[in-house]
Amino acid sequence: MSFLEHDWFPRPVPDDVVVGERTWLYSAYAFHHSRGAVRIGADCGIYHGTHFELGPGGEVEIGDFCTIVGAVIATNGPLWIGDHTFVAHEVTIAASEFAVPPRGGSLEARRRQVRGQHPAEEGGDRAGPLGATPDAPDAPIAIGSGAWIGARAVILAGARVGRDAVVGAGAVIAGEVPPGATAVGNPARIVGA
Amino acid sequence: MSFDDREVTGGWDHSRLPGNVQLGRRCWIERPQTFERFRSTRDPGLVLGDDVNVYGWTVFNLEPDAVLTVGERSVLVGAVFMCSERIELGHDVVISYGVTIADSDFHPSDPGLRRRDAEASAPYGDPAGRPPVESRPGSIGDGAWIGIGAIILKGVSIGTGARVGAGAVVSRSVPAGARAEGNPARVIEV
Repeated sequence: MSFLEHDWFPRPVPDDVVVGERTWLYSAYAFHHSRGAVRIGADCGIYHGTHFELGPGGEVEIGDFCTIVGAVIATNGPLWIGDHTFVAHEVTIAASEFAVPPRGGSLEARRRQVRGQHPAEEGGDRAGPLGATPDAPDAPIAIGSGAWIGARAVILAGARVGRDAVVGAGAVIAGEVPPGATAVGNPARIVGA
Repeated sequence: MSFDDREVTGGWDHSRLPGNVQLGRRCWIERPQTFERFRSTRDPGLVLGDDVNVYGWTVFNLEPDAVLTVGERSVLVGAVFMCSERIELGHDVVISYGVTIADSDFHPSDPGLRRRDAEASAPYGDPAGRPPVESRPGSIGDGAWIGIGAIILKGVSIGTGARVGAGAVVSRSVPAGARAEGNPARVIEV
């Protein structure tokens, strides 16, 4: 349980978040929906607009020297990000293209859940993509060391972005991007290897 | 001095909302900032059905004549509504992260009118000199799901149970049960 010295959000970084030496984390607000585990290596920058939206089965591992300028990470499964990876503004890494935050996944929701008051909990499972089996595990996502993910790209469950690959701005990736290749567009295509 | 985390996590007092917002039972709105650009003077200007969940990325950017309705049990994660006239969402609609839904281009398309609009919209311009702008209402049918980062433009109806894929840019209506994907969006009948 630790507070960030510079934080405006009056809550500690959750216990299931481990952050390496010299890594900058903009705020504990990044975890205010999260119910999963996060391990971030050394010398990373995790900047404003990054949100971990993890279900209880969500498990994120980020290597060393990574820059996450601003990404939403919404999954109930494993996500692995290698070393020296760069993720630009407004990127979404999600288990489903219709992802919603985890159930009971905000501080207030958890408080109300304890008191049996949260609307989404009262009505049983929330409608939508997580409605049928809300806590089922999601498929893994992997982003190799040295990869670059362009602004507003969407990386979906089952995606494997190879080492040193580049994902262009706004591309939607659901499959494999080979090591060193460049993927662009929606639907994405590989343009260079 | 300390910041009250209820201001960003949903525990704030919903009675602070504008009087022309009609809330259903058990609605949950994460952040009051969602209403910072709410300028509707219609009554009601916004209707949220029972059990609607509105997450903090959502923005109700409503112009003075705008009316937005959201059916029961819908989940709005990150929808920026740019509404000058009317947008209607059915029940059990899911809007994922980073979506924009508009019922107008908010500026004229004719080049001469665009220049006039730019000058009237300048910081010291005269807003009364803005040329008229077209709006065409939009709708999203019951049980439709809108994927991450999709953009839905004016005059578009998304049919009942339709799916709009991640990153799709939709400028034409999508039939019930169909899927639209890509930029520009293509419709795939399912």
